[in-house]
Amino acid sequence: MRALVVYCHPDPGSFNAAVRDVVLDRLAGQGAEVRLHDLYAMGFTPVLTGLEWAGYLNCPDNIAAVAGPVADVRWADTLIFVYPTWWYGLPAMLKGWLDRVLLPDVAFVMPDATNKTIRPGLQHIKRLGVFTTCGASRWLTLIVGAPGKRTLLRGVGFICASGKRSSFAAHYLMDSSTPASRAAHLARVAAKMDRLIGNPARAPQEVKA
Amino acid sequence: MPRALILFAHPCDDSFSAALHKTVLDALTAKGWDIDDCDLYAEGFNPVLTAAERRGYHDVARNTAPVQSHVDRLRQADALVLVFPVWNYGFPAILKGFFDRVFLSGVSFTLVDGRVKPNLMNIRKLAAITTYGGTRVKTFLAGDPPRRVVTRSIRYVCGARKLRYLALHDMNRVSAAQRAAHLARVRAEMEAF
Repeated sequence: MRALVVYCHPDPGSFNAAVRDVVLDRLAGQGAEVRLHDLYAMGFTPVLTGLEWAGYLNCPDNIAAVAGPVADVRWADTLIFVYPTWWYGLPAMLKGWLDRVLLPDVAFVMPDATNKTIRPGLQHIKRLGVFTTCGASRWLTLIVGAPGKRTLLRGVGFICASGKRSSFAAHYLMDSSTPASRAAHLARVAAKMDRLIGNPARAPQEVKA
Repeated sequence: MPRALILFAHPCDDSFSAALHKTVLDALTAKGWDIDDCDLYAEGFNPVLTAAERRGYHDVARNTAPVQSHVDRLRQADALVLVFPVWNYGFPAILKGFFDRVFLSGVSFTLVDGRVKPNLMNIRKLAAITTYGGTRVKTFLAGDPPRRVVTRSIRYVCGARKLRYLALHDMNRVSAAQRAAHLARVRAEMEAF
């Protein structure tokens, strides 16, 4: 198993760092090879530039500015995101990682003469994990429609292997969390991780173009 | 004159988003709006919330300092118009970071007994002018995250009575006529805004 963990939080002492450590610990327990993108620590630039936009469709030159992260995405069969939910979505830092790294011919294939629509490009990703924290309550998040969760589990999920496993866990009402609630959440993340990576994932079905 | 704050998020001035931006500017100007045009790329807006900002997020006396000018512009606006492309079923990072850093506690909302209360009641009209690479069906299946954020959470904190969400889907395959029709629709909606 080759896992790419994309972690995004500005504060090294945050609860998200503890979630990340549980994820890394479970991956190590399964003997997985792991690569970590700690976006704040890397000083990742999330703003897609005019130059990148102008060359967005020019495959394979479009990856030039983000060749390292793209190589890690292509290497992985397991993709895990750990981040806080801000404004019901991904932090700009993480959203920009999607904008700049999940490019045509990396994450999806653009329409051409024989294919009318955008097609998946991450069929080598067989496991997708999303672990987050929310200031809002579960109810408020549901009312708004959990946009961040949808961006990753559906938007990114659509372009992964069709038989992939996916896993999601959120600690809601983070601002009134207690040591007990945080410990319970870490245990939940550990259990979700074990289910996500414990047994061999189903073989991906062939995807129709 | 009522004032409209336009938040524009696209790096290229020859893009269709830029054409939408110009259409919005022209239509609102023609109708006598006082325009505050915030081109996030041109202004070099930094969307990354820092560790210090995160720690001080709920300190309403001090949390606006790093982004004071943008907070002031938001508070002076009677209408907010967002012009952006949807990338990967979300806002471009530069616009998402505007929400992260400027729509702060004490600015866009207040916490009263742990409950969120709207705090941008000056913004009475809200519009989003956008484009999607994905088809309408795919966007619906994904749950259309940017539409939800605009029409639910941002609308809630603004208390906006007027809301327009104008989207053109399947951008890679739309015809010139469909693009022109979308521009015309945006112009008409903005003139009536």
